Amino acid sequence: MPAFPSVEWFDAIREITNKDPEFRALGTVDCVIGIKVGSKILEVTFDAFECTNVREVGENDLRDMDFWLEQPYDKWVDMIENIKKNGKADLSHTLNTIDLSLPDGFARAHDGYRRDAFYRFNQSIQDFFNASAKIDTQFLAEAAVA
Amino acid sequence: MADTISIPDSLRAKAQEKGWPDDLVEQALATGASADQLIGYMNQGVTAEQARGFLAGPASGAASGGSELSTELKAAAATAQWPEDLIREALAAGAAESDLINFMTLGVTAEQAREFMAQGGPPQLDLSWMQVPTEWNTRAKPTKHGLTLEAINIGRYGEIPDEWPYQTEMPRGAVPIPGVEAMGYSIFQKQEVWSDVCARLYEEAIQRRWRPATDVPWASIEPLADDVERAMCQICTHISEKEQMEADVLGRWEPDISYGYHEVKLYLATTIFENARAVEVFRKRALSNGGGLGMQSPGWGFRSVVDARNFTEMCSIQMVLQDSLTLAQYQYLEKYAKNPAEKYIAAHAMEDKARHVAYGITHLKYVMMHRADRRDEIQRYLDKGEGMMLQDDRKDPATREAFAIYFAGGKDNIREGLKTYNQMRKRAIEQYLARLKWATIERADRLDAGLKAFLQD
Repeated sequence: MPAFPSVEWFDAIREITNKDPEFRALGTVDCVIGIKVGSKILEVTFDAFECTNVREVGENDLRDMDFWLEQPYDKWVDMIENIKKNGKADLSHTLNTIDLSLPDGFARAHDGYRRDAFYRFNQSIQDFFNASAKIDTQFLAEAAVA
Repeated sequence: MADTISIPDSLRAKAQEKGWPDDLVEQALATGASADQLIGYMNQGVTAEQARGFLAGPASGAASGGSELSTELKAAAATAQWPEDLIREALAAGAAESDLINFMTLGVTAEQAREFMAQGGPPQLDLSWMQVPTEWNTRAKPTKHGLTLEAINIGRYGEIPDEWPYQTEMPRGAVPIPGVEAMGYSIFQKQEVWSDVCARLYEEAIQRRWRPATDVPWASIEPLADDVERAMCQICTHISEKEQMEADVLGRWEPDISYGYHEVKLYLATTIFENARAVEVFRKRALSNGGGLGMQSPGWGFRSVVDARNFTEMCSIQMVLQDSLTLAQYQYLEKYAKNPAEKYIAAHAMEDKARHVAYGITHLKYVMMHRADRRDEIQRYLDKGEGMMLQDDRKDPATREAFAIYFAGGKDNIREGLKTYNQMRKRAIEQYLARLKWATIERADRLDAGLKAFLQD
């Protein structure tokens, strides 16, 4: 059972996503996004019709990404558990809804243009996270990513 | 005494620069080409050798029925298995040797040729267009994204000039012919319309299209409280109106953009289509749950867009300022959606609108990178656009109250709803300023005082 957050966990949903005809039907998606969970940062690359790579990176790499997603650890757990329970994010757990619910936002970036990739490819990235409903997730202890 | 062909000085200078000898230039002028046309060919990179080939035309290799056939014709005939008597018969009937070679190369069989001859001989084809000196042997390769506009922008076809010299609808990379009437374009400079991502945005828009009639889960809509339904219907009316206005405005600019910048024309066509889709889907939402349309908007902001006198003015106000607000509205509609159908509509409209904003802001950045002297001009457009937008805020209580009631879930909680409305406006302005900053336009200090007030909430 892959643990969240880890390269293995994202690789698992990457494989599901890349085989999903509905993901392809959403159209091309071209962006590099970060996932920041405590001190752990993962870079996820989307190119054309697939998610091509996931790797662990450092804080300085955030500058080269279109945007990164960041929220408190318990909110990550809540989001992923909600997706598992409903088969996809319910109305109050979509990426955009979470973005508007957090004081500092969920999608963050160093420039105002590249951050808009969060909106342009929003449904593909949502679909990517929704794929986590198809796997069982083990959550790392919060202290492990603090 | 024969007329003397004289070469104008400008043409002679260009010919010397491009390596066209005088006799070739005189020959081309003698065929009726104008000096401007010839300069155009030279600027496009047509070589002297290509020009000679073009002027030689299809009849250059013509042979009479009784003379010796050329080696080239014999070789083509051997490959195509045309007997010599058939070839001589065709030449005697007036066909040019180069025409016959073309027929053979195109796969016309001897039997088919005889049938033509029996019907009075082959049609007298011109085929000089086959010798047109465009760049040939172009083989664009599909990429991971398919065969995209960027993938075919290779060789001369990918050269996007800073100034486009043609008034006609001639595609970029084709060869102009004399006498074609002007199309009435008014935009001939790249900096007036260009965005470095417009080709990519076009492909993205084509790939990420959606179909309101069947993709939206309409059956998920359930009856809402009367005030919430009325609020939603007023929002739908407001959005339908402004999306249609954007489509109308862009539709008017399309014919002004010359064909040299077809990537922009194509991208704007998808924008118009997406405006239409927004009109469609919000109108459908208004008419699908027991409600109806609401009140017209006062349209102050619309006027500043409709009255824009140049493309960058329109783009600054519509696709950067106004669309930043609309994008924030879609973000909040997505968050506060009452059912999966409204969630779907807002989320997809948000994707479309983000592309419109991306075009607008990348166009402004292109202008700043190539015409920094236009900086204050753009600031003035934004002064005007912001002022008119504020008029809408002051004089359109219907839209403001409708959003507030929808966000709050009813008019009993409208104070909370108005707070959310102000947060939405604040977010729209913050994102607008951040985008402008990326385009090297610092706007925070110059922002309209009325809009600045939202930032202080």
